[in-house]
Amino acid sequence: MKYKLISCEIFFREMEFLLEQSPHEIDVEFMQKGLHDIPTAEMRARIQDQVDAASEENHDAILLGYGLCNNGLDGVLARNVQLVLPRAHDCITLFFGSRQRYQEYFFSHPGTYFLTTGWIERNKIAEELKQLSIPNQTGMDMTYEELVEKYGEDNAQFLWKELCYTERNYSQITFIEMGVEPDGSFEQTAREEAVSKHWKFSKVPGDLSLIRRLLNGDWDEEDFLVVPPHHRIAANHTEAIVAAEPE
Amino acid sequence: MARNEALFEAVIKGKRPDVTAIVQQEVDKGTNVAEILMESMIPAMAEIGERFSRNEAYVPEMLIAARAMQAGLDILDPLLAAAGHEPLGKVAIGTVKGDLHDIGKNLVAMMLKGAGFEVMDLGVDCDVDKYKDAVASGAQAVLLSALLTTTMPYMKEIVEGLKGSGAKVLIGGAPVTKEYADGIGADGYADDANTAVKATKAALGLAA
Repeated sequence: MKYKLISCEIFFREMEFLLEQSPHEIDVEFMQKGLHDIPTAEMRARIQDQVDAASEENHDAILLGYGLCNNGLDGVLARNVQLVLPRAHDCITLFFGSRQRYQEYFFSHPGTYFLTTGWIERNKIAEELKQLSIPNQTGMDMTYEELVEKYGEDNAQFLWKELCYTERNYSQITFIEMGVEPDGSFEQTAREEAVSKHWKFSKVPGDLSLIRRLLNGDWDEEDFLVVPPHHRIAANHTEAIVAAEPE
Repeated sequence: MARNEALFEAVIKGKRPDVTAIVQQEVDKGTNVAEILMESMIPAMAEIGERFSRNEAYVPEMLIAARAMQAGLDILDPLLAAAGHEPLGKVAIGTVKGDLHDIGKNLVAMMLKGAGFEVMDLGVDCDVDKYKDAVASGAQAVLLSALLTTTMPYMKEIVEGLKGSGAKVLIGGAPVTKEYADGIGADGYADDANTAVKATKAALGLAA
């Protein structure tokens, strides 16, 4: 089979590792990390552009290395080539290997910030996306000095605490070890970040099986949505997360 | 008393020390405290809300205006209570279970206070019982916030849990849509902090 993979670069190392092992011929397009921070319609348009371009080529399926990602995939339309995506709210499901496992961890560990190789080495948001991003438009990414200059010292202190110090509700870093790390340096970085923020550190084993099945064409309905040609992805707010709707 | 322009402007510009000083001056002069609130401060918050809706003011401006308003309320609240002034209504707000995002929730809470509501802030990670307790304590409306598609589905459980309680339920947050609100039977939906105030008033049958 010949597939096209359109994936968030947050999975770069995982995808590279698994692509080598896939029995299929797969063309790959990595997209910038951080699309979930820009307005939903803008993210959707960018994914749609990639889908449209890939649909011009000769592929048996277009694989999406994404979750629902802040509804950024809601409404993406399959042209004449079927789309396949994992049933996931966001990338952490793909790192955990199952949405049930992620859900269980998510609700039993509130205040957790997850780190992987991708989240560590691709943490910077591209300048072009930054301009469009919600944090930028709401002033959340202003520095303290910028706040002082614009709003004065008294208000800057308040705004910093209220608007910009978004880490206040986190209390833990969980490093998801995917088995694609070259050495212990990523885990070390995650540990150091936890120490510097006075947060708890935890490490959990990741699970590549969901991404592997995506790339290998093993798409059971429980864990994957196959969107037939001329249907669109629809977030349905159920346990299944997404459904296919006719165009 | 007509509108005190200096007070009105000080709230809009988020000049907290000025608001404190002017409110104190007016109180010392014996100005009717309800009038200070109703004629100058609440209109100022409504104005900043409208500017926000027109993209003429941004989140930081709204936050500092709300903070300046609160400084004035700190002086006025006990006097208003003593004068028998009733709040517009009593509402509760919280971010739903599993979700710890609170910037939007806090902003809406401040705007509701700025509009004259008594606001119970339930914080983040709120389960259905927290909202039920708030209704038992007199909240006429509860506002639910979620920033993740992971946590948004819990809103449905809250709406169902509060059925028959008489309280109105309003929802909002980045992934929330009008269709979703209608689908789960919420009484109102808002996509920004200014509309949240209007939607709350509408749900409670209050004049806009």
